[in-house]
Amino acid sequence: MRKRLIGPLIALSLVLAACAAPGNAPTASPASGSPTPAPSATAGDLVPVTLAMGYVPNVQFAPLYVAKERGYFAAEGIDVTFDYGWETDLLKLLAAGERQFVIGSGDQVALARANGLPVRYVLNWYRRFPVCVVALGDSGISKPEDLIGRTVGIPVLEGASYIGWRAFLKAVGIEPEKVNLQVVGYTQVASLTEKRVDAAVCYALNEPVQLRTAGHDVRVLYLDQYANLPSNGLITNDRTIEEQPELVRGMVRAFLRGLQDTITDPDGAFAITKQVVPEIGGENEALQRAVLAECVRFWQGEELGKSDPASWRAVVDLLRELNLMDAAVDPESLYTNEFVTP
Amino acid sequence: MAVAPLLFLALWQGVCWRGLYPPFVLPPPGAVARRFAGVVRDGTLWSHTSVTLLEVFGGLLIGLSVALVLGYLLAKSRTLEQLVLPYLVASQALPVVALAPLLVIWFGTGRLSKIVVCALTLFFPVLVNTIVGIRSVERGLRDLMRSLGASRWQMFALLEVPAAMPVLLSGLRIGLTLSVIGAVVGEFVAADRGLGFLVNLARGLFDTPLLFVALFTLMAIALAFHALTSSLERALLGWQRDQ
Repeated sequence: MRKRLIGPLIALSLVLAACAAPGNAPTASPASGSPTPAPSATAGDLVPVTLAMGYVPNVQFAPLYVAKERGYFAAEGIDVTFDYGWETDLLKLLAAGERQFVIGSGDQVALARANGLPVRYVLNWYRRFPVCVVALGDSGISKPEDLIGRTVGIPVLEGASYIGWRAFLKAVGIEPEKVNLQVVGYTQVASLTEKRVDAAVCYALNEPVQLRTAGHDVRVLYLDQYANLPSNGLITNDRTIEEQPELVRGMVRAFLRGLQDTITDPDGAFAITKQVVPEIGGENEALQRAVLAECVRFWQGEELGKSDPASWRAVVDLLRELNLMDAAVDPESLYTNEFVTP
Repeated sequence: MAVAPLLFLALWQGVCWRGLYPPFVLPPPGAVARRFAGVVRDGTLWSHTSVTLLEVFGGLLIGLSVALVLGYLLAKSRTLEQLVLPYLVASQALPVVALAPLLVIWFGTGRLSKIVVCALTLFFPVLVNTIVGIRSVERGLRDLMRSLGASRWQMFALLEVPAAMPVLLSGLRIGLTLSVIGAVVGEFVAADRGLGFLVNLARGLFDTPLLFVALFTLMAIALAFHALTSSLERALLGWQRDQ
């Protein structure tokens, strides 16, 4: 019996030893060349704030990692901790006062507010709505009309991709029934390359970049060229705005500094992000650098952080038209530029 | 029997009255009941429930068939067991929720991938119960059947199956419940119909009463399956009680 146990125990020890090997341990020291944090307050004075993001740790959150690493949050008296989860769940936690700040999409703020969640968008991060329709070069799809009668994959029938898709169809005048829409989950790349669908609704910063990096010829219809919708930004709740406006202002300022740094110096931002998410290095580095470069194209623009009122009116009209919003919602109640304006 | 649900409803309503949670976190029972009536009336609930049931029964058919046959073979052959079982055990370390996106790529986004997820979810518990059930047949009874000149088929049909039946039925009970979970997991990954999809949709629309309707429907299905296996046990194992 004892002999029989020895083999599996040795195997288990080897696995554990391999996992604990120094090569796999995350490095705590900053990468060479990255600036050192410049906190202006001692840790004891800082206000602890949890900022939740509707995804997993990713290169797309680089501006936030930069703002933390370079001490921009600390300079505002904020000790920020990052948290990740499902966007709609995070918005509920935010509305219930369990979180103070969430990164989420503008359309979700509109839906949440219509359902009685007291949340509000205080900083516009993405200047362009990052949803697109992707087709491979040999599909014969290069303009919106080419989608008529074709099969289009979509990850889910809700959220930014669905709302972006419906806004796109409305803008180009295609009846939804004229396209065979198929829910494919987050398998767009496989669905396209295996010819299960003719085109797919994708996140503009992911799948098209992946396909191009893998050597595919792709045609991309960026939805923001057809419809103006509010995209990802910083969201907080009414209570925080009312009771701690300076905290909101500090969060916005720190975020904008991180964003500006990332736009100006993507390589420096990538090095910082790699400390937070080591998995983006090694074999994944080329793809992840390309993703960040694409992100910067969606973030840059005039008056960083400022929301466009027309986009909020457009999203409310669209959600009402799609019967996704029963209650009348004033678009002006969904966002504020108060904290962005110096 | 009816006291437990009433107590639960009273407690739920009490929590809502006291305002411990906002309605988008915990809607009152009345709001959920109104939403339930609405989706029953317009046919939405049945259109999603029927799809999930179809996937569950498809998964049951495949999962049960493979698990029962393989379980019987493994119970009869130690060599085969040593050859196959370690890998089957290792495969159980893979959470089906992590495997589901791959299955959707391999088997497509239609019903088949959900049926496969269902079948995989219930396969292992049914397999293990089959092995245990067949092996639990007393040696003395086997010797008796042999001494009476029973053929292999008679041994199987008249001794092994009836003797293993209690364990097999408990495997079926676990399998039925797990198959519902399997279908929902599959629908979470990629679906445009089904109760798992309805849960996702309600979540995305901040429609918490609808989310509760979908969850209660899943609970009702689980209860119905439990009642079904209990009836099956009474019908098939009545002879044991009579002894």
